Amino acid sequence: MRLIARYAVERQEGLEVVTRYDEKSESVMLDRQNPCVDTIATFHPSAIWFERKMHDDFGIKIEGAFDNRPLVHHERFPKGVHPMRKEFTQTALDFADFTSYKFEAVGGDGVFEVAVGPIHAGIIEPGHFHFSQAGEDMLHQEVRHFYKYRGIEKMVEGMTLDEAKPVIERISGNESVAYQIAWQQIAAQAAGAEMPLPLRRYHAFLLELERFIHHWTDLGFIPNDAGFGAALAYASRIAEEGRRMMAALTGHRFGFGAVKWEKPRIETQGVAAWLERMANEAVWFKEWIMDIPSLWDRFDTTGRLRHEKAVKYDCVGVVARACGVPVDVRLNPFYIEHGFKMQTQAYGDVGARFKVRLAEVENSIAMMRNFLEEEAAALTPGEAEDGRYEAFVESSLGELYMTVELKGGKIERFFARDPGFVNWQALHLMMPGNIIADFPLINKSCDLSYAGNDL
Amino acid sequence: MLRFWQKRALTGVVTEHREFEDEIAQIRSVLKDEVKKRFAGSLAIRMVDSGSCNACEAECNALSNPFYDLERLGIRFVASPRHADVMLLSGVMTFNMFHHVMDAWEQIPEPKWCITLGDCSVMQAPFTKSFAIKGPVGEHLPVAWHIPGCPPSPEVIMRGLLDFLRSFEQK
Repeated sequence: MRLIARYAVERQEGLEVVTRYDEKSESVMLDRQNPCVDTIATFHPSAIWFERKMHDDFGIKIEGAFDNRPLVHHERFPKGVHPMRKEFTQTALDFADFTSYKFEAVGGDGVFEVAVGPIHAGIIEPGHFHFSQAGEDMLHQEVRHFYKYRGIEKMVEGMTLDEAKPVIERISGNESVAYQIAWQQIAAQAAGAEMPLPLRRYHAFLLELERFIHHWTDLGFIPNDAGFGAALAYASRIAEEGRRMMAALTGHRFGFGAVKWEKPRIETQGVAAWLERMANEAVWFKEWIMDIPSLWDRFDTTGRLRHEKAVKYDCVGVVARACGVPVDVRLNPFYIEHGFKMQTQAYGDVGARFKVRLAEVENSIAMMRNFLEEEAAALTPGEAEDGRYEAFVESSLGELYMTVELKGGKIERFFARDPGFVNWQALHLMMPGNIIADFPLINKSCDLSYAGNDL
Repeated sequence: MLRFWQKRALTGVVTEHREFEDEIAQIRSVLKDEVKKRFAGSLAIRMVDSGSCNACEAECNALSNPFYDLERLGIRFVASPRHADVMLLSGVMTFNMFHHVMDAWEQIPEPKWCITLGDCSVMQAPFTKSFAIKGPVGEHLPVAWHIPGCPPSPEVIMRGLLDFLRSFEQK
């Protein structure tokens, strides 16, 4: 049973803790005054962050947890403040005194610690990595994030779904279309609306285009981190062409505001010709890059995540598929009819993740051809009914889970689990046996989101 | 490798907006002494993300793709604030990033300038002010220039940087 998410909801009677597995959903009601719940981290290590977050958000005590450090709340966050509680309505917080955070570290003769971030050397989002080193060798690594914590879950409370959409589509720029589709799935469920096929196809097309752009960015950056800059020049040119196609179709380079209830009429001829060209570029790139031995020396056996660990840590997306774990939301009749093929690799190293991305780009281009349709379509959704809704979308990083509870037409609770939120927790497993100079390569090969993770 | 050179010859030069090169040459000649004195002939930027959705960063990364190739203009992104003239700041300035941003700013040697990038930094993106947000940036840092957009496209960013340089003309 795969753990998807664990989160809390405040109710009249107390605090409800929902545990979402792939096959079922469990729910426990806790006392409001002294909320306490048993940990499930012993069976699902990826529950650790969910549980630590629940404590920060609601003040829920986790019985039996071996990691009780705050997660979202940093050194200067006031103690005893649980912003997801309904009674918390402050719009500003004062900085509290600095309380240091105890990093996981390995001790011993000659073992030293290396701290990287939160602000990194390149143009990257803020996050922190903490290494225990014996010379070049990484013994242990801990990830610390939530520097970008914007309080989005609280921000959208009290908004209607329509009002919340501009915020939701900006949770993570790289996955904007995926977040919008999740939003739309929830909005459609709430209104009891059936999405017309051309609309579904159009949005699936945009989602694949987003994946195309994101994968090409990585296909350039991964070799670049191994010192092969020519690949970055090549792949970033293709990624830029993808962005321009996105802008031509939706009016925005990242597709902000692209997912609506209507689909415009499209001139498919130009798009089809472009896809044809991109398919050729992908073939050329693949033949070229697979044939550079010095590059594969760096890729192969680097940053390996074992199949058992990927299963145990409930990994999703490219990270899981590169270890032979076939999790992909697109494994459904709609996508299979349009040419979806599950892409997996067995070895779980940087090379495997690179190959999965290469294969997925080719598959995306094939699917985009099939999703392409001239016809316009529109739908007028009715009133949103109150209730709890959830959506799964395969973003470019992996399975995105979103759930919304509506009350009186307004958002009562919003919860989104970015694929990064589980995959980040598995990152440290890839480190032992590698040298610190391989870290950027390993990290980039997973390419996880900070913004979606930190919310 | 032969195939690579073949491909390169077939693709040719894709860099666009050559007029930017003329513009920067013009700016250099007008501000010769100024740019030389203040920026040693080139502009070094330290990018700091204080809580964006990563779209602004993606566009800054795109600046170095072959279509834009920002470095040909002598504008570089550097790895350390101590090598920088300018801090380019994106994002809403979160509660958790506040002190780190201030630290980075302090590490930049004088003379220094803060340029804000994108609508988040001036709280014009759809994010509402919340307990976790300390923005707008202007309340905490002396902002010398702002590049609007959500996110600003690479072209807009380039134009914004050139306009920033040109703003010294009037002074």
